[in-house]
Amino acid sequence: MNPAELTHTIVFYGLALVSIVAALLVVTVKRIFRAAVALATVLVCGAGFYILLDYDFIAGIQLLVYVGGIVILIVFAVMLTSSLEDTEIRPSKSRKALGIISSLGFLATALIAFQSTSFPLSAPTPEQPSDVALEIGRKLLGYGSDGYVLPFEIISLLLLSAVIGAIVVARNPLKKSSDLSGQSEQSDGSAT
Amino acid sequence: MNELANNALANSFAFNNAWLIPALPFFSFLLVGLFIRPYSEKLAGIVATLSVSTSAALSLWLAFDYFSAFPAGAEHPALVSWSFQWLRYNEYLVVNVGTLIDSLSILLMVVVTFVSSLVHLYSIGYMKGEDGYGRYFTYLNLFTFSMLGLVVAPNILQTYIFWELVGVSSFLLIGFYYTKPSAVAASKKAFIVTRFADLFFLVGILLIAVVGYNLMSLFGVPNGLPENVSAFDFAFITNSGVSTMMNNFGILTPALILIFIGAAGKSALFPLHIWLPDAMEGPTPVSALIHAATMVVAGVYLVARLFVTFAASESALLVAAYLGAFTCIFAAIIACTQNDIKRVLAYSTLSQIGYMMFALGVASATETLGYTASLFHLFTHAFFKALLFLGAGAVIHSVHTNNIWNMGGLAKKMPITNITFLIATLAISGVWPFAGFFSKDEIIAAAFGNHHYVIFAIGLLVAGITAFYMFRIYIVTFLGKARSEAVDHAHEAPMTMTIPLMILAALTAVVGFIHFGDYVSVASIITGDATGHAEGGFPIWIPALLSGLTGIGIAWFMYGGEKDRATAVTEKLGVIYRVICAKFYIDEIYQFITHKIIIRFISTPIAWFDKRIVDGGVDLTGWLTRRSGATLSHLQTGQTQTYAAWLINGVIAVVVIIWLYAS
Amino acid sequence: MSFVPGLFHWLCLSTILFSIGLYGVMTRRNAVGVLMSVELLLNSAAMNFLIFNHFAAKPFIDGAVMALFIIAVAAAEAVVAMALFVAIFRSRKTVDVTQIDTLKG
Repeated sequence: MNPAELTHTIVFYGLALVSIVAALLVVTVKRIFRAAVALATVLVCGAGFYILLDYDFIAGIQLLVYVGGIVILIVFAVMLTSSLEDTEIRPSKSRKALGIISSLGFLATALIAFQSTSFPLSAPTPEQPSDVALEIGRKLLGYGSDGYVLPFEIISLLLLSAVIGAIVVARNPLKKSSDLSGQSEQSDGSAT
Repeated sequence: MNELANNALANSFAFNNAWLIPALPFFSFLLVGLFIRPYSEKLAGIVATLSVSTSAALSLWLAFDYFSAFPAGAEHPALVSWSFQWLRYNEYLVVNVGTLIDSLSILLMVVVTFVSSLVHLYSIGYMKGEDGYGRYFTYLNLFTFSMLGLVVAPNILQTYIFWELVGVSSFLLIGFYYTKPSAVAASKKAFIVTRFADLFFLVGILLIAVVGYNLMSLFGVPNGLPENVSAFDFAFITNSGVSTMMNNFGILTPALILIFIGAAGKSALFPLHIWLPDAMEGPTPVSALIHAATMVVAGVYLVARLFVTFAASESALLVAAYLGAFTCIFAAIIACTQNDIKRVLAYSTLSQIGYMMFALGVASATETLGYTASLFHLFTHAFFKALLFLGAGAVIHSVHTNNIWNMGGLAKKMPITNITFLIATLAISGVWPFAGFFSKDEIIAAAFGNHHYVIFAIGLLVAGITAFYMFRIYIVTFLGKARSEAVDHAHEAPMTMTIPLMILAALTAVVGFIHFGDYVSVASIITGDATGHAEGGFPIWIPALLSGLTGIGIAWFMYGGEKDRATAVTEKLGVIYRVICAKFYIDEIYQFITHKIIIRFISTPIAWFDKRIVDGGVDLTGWLTRRSGATLSHLQTGQTQTYAAWLINGVIAVVVIIWLYAS
Repeated sequence: MSFVPGLFHWLCLSTILFSIGLYGVMTRRNAVGVLMSVELLLNSAAMNFLIFNHFAAKPFIDGAVMALFIIAVAAAEAVVAMALFVAIFRSRKTVDVTQIDTLKG
């Protein structure tokens, strides 16, 4: 095992350990804000994995969009819907058991499937495109049979409509109807 | 076929438009029932009467034209003046709705329309002020239409359809007073009993049609029949070649007996007679119509229509003969003990229908006098029985009771009714010169001539019994002293009721002189010889008339005098009298069979099976669905996380199943 | 079996992350927590694309393009989800998913 490979292996296991622990924290800690921090950790580790896989550009995007955008968004959501000190009530025992059984079942199934499948691996050291970012850009805007210009445009539309939709859903209702719905909200709130 | 006669008929309005005869009452039925009745009850009666009278006029015209084209004694062919294809199953199974014109259908058309129009006229007076006046005339029109459709049917399936229509409309008429429980029960009884018999009729029709179809597809259309003949057509069924062939296959007798059961149901032959006496629950003119001219003679008509076929199977005819003879004497004996005037008349109808049926039964392919005699009796009976019922109706109308022992001395109060009723009584008793004398005579002669001596004896005996019970009710009702207060208030019926009585009385007096055999006979079809008379060596009318006169004498002796001799006789008879008075307990036997045996051992288990197993199965399905729905709805918790868990587990399950199948 | 991370090791990693995410989706009571678990799922899916691209389709970078799309979809999803949470919170004063059960049969 050469030093580069050793480093690679050590880094992999280290990151894996960190990200799995962080992921477990994400799904278990009572304080939702801490969960958000743990999520950020997982995502940063994810970027590390991408670098290990030689996708530096994607790792950068991951950091920018996921860590810089989505996690911030989630933090906003946490702040808007509950105070930082809020703790979550533990899930019921049966719900927990169901979750453990289902997720472990899925894990086992998937692992057995991976184990028993022989994937057509490519050659051990095939050449990587010199500039991945350039190649991705060419792919995204390519018209040819291997181009992704149509999905690219659809994703643009999706983002646009998500933004508009988010504004429509989240904004305050109109003044007149807010009075009416305000009353019903009041009664709803007291009922639940 | 006679070309000249055809040409003569071709220009006849009545012949070309014979369909109008049944259609007019039908149109009037729709018009009266749908449009006139809600607005004017009075107009409903008038329109209904007019339409049937027009039919009567048309049928008389048709009879005149037909018998001018084919004069007395000549051949009387069966012609289809109008028809259209209604159902077509295949080449040989076609149902044409149409009008068949031959001497038999003309006879029935004349009788039905004539009696029916007189009954309509009479009802205008009789039903005055009753609830449902318009409804009554609607039903009467429907009834007349059904009966006319039946008699003009050129094929047996049309006969069957109208046969059932007759059943339905009789149900409506008998149950006319539907608020009276006994009337409802009677109408149900009539409908169920005749319907039960009709089931056999239908099976018989299907049997004949299927065999006829197979014969035609094997051997082609028989000689002498048109190419487009259908297995349902009477022309096909009554073809002697066809009947012989069916007889050889052994299906003729069973099929005919099945059809005969249907006929026996409508004609109320023993043991299916039980509905007829109860059918008296309807208004009296309805009884007159059902009993005299329409429903009960339908069975006789059917056997007469299929006579050639019946003649090919000796046993079927023998069944008709002996059942007819038995009903004849059985009903006559019961009639002697009844106190309800309409019931006596009902049993006398049974008895007279028995006469007609055994007259048909004693006839054969070569000795066809019985056929003519039967239809002659049908013809005369229609008039005098209608007259008797309408007379009884007039009496009931004025004294408001059916019991003869509450009447008496009505002769002075109701002179017209008295005389017309007397004429009818003499006619049914077979006294010269009234109609019954001739026809009954001919029947008895036919029985004697064809060497059916037992039936001959029964016929002779029943002639005497008939005279006895008819004079019994005549004497008790019209002569002697008034037996109740109601009689004091009695008065003669209105004109609309007495006019039909007088017309019928006049006819009763004269129709016997028609030389009937020249017009209606079956001889020409088989032997080409119209003179089927079998006089039996000596004038048969002497014993017949003597028998009748003896009956009258006994009745006079028992009921005519001041002394109550009848009570002494009934006391001497003791148990026998009580059994007869209870109509031989036939109703009770049926009651026992249906209630104690059929209901307990067949219906109850079936009902149990239906309720528990069939319904239970259906209920179980519903219950299971509801229960499982209720149970499964708890899975619908609204907790999306639970749904997610099920989703994941479902995916895992699918993967595992795929693995299991793949390996 | 070698400890050197090969395809199987990587797949194990992403599957473990995915299963943890699943557990979170099923057990988290706070809707934002569920959203975070969903982000875990999406992240491991994106990782899977890159893993397969790296080990099985080296000269091409279509997997990387897919990962990009996934990140974009995740962003859109997070935006909409946040808007929904805010709206729900406004009307119900809670984002506890176990209490939002109007789908109940």
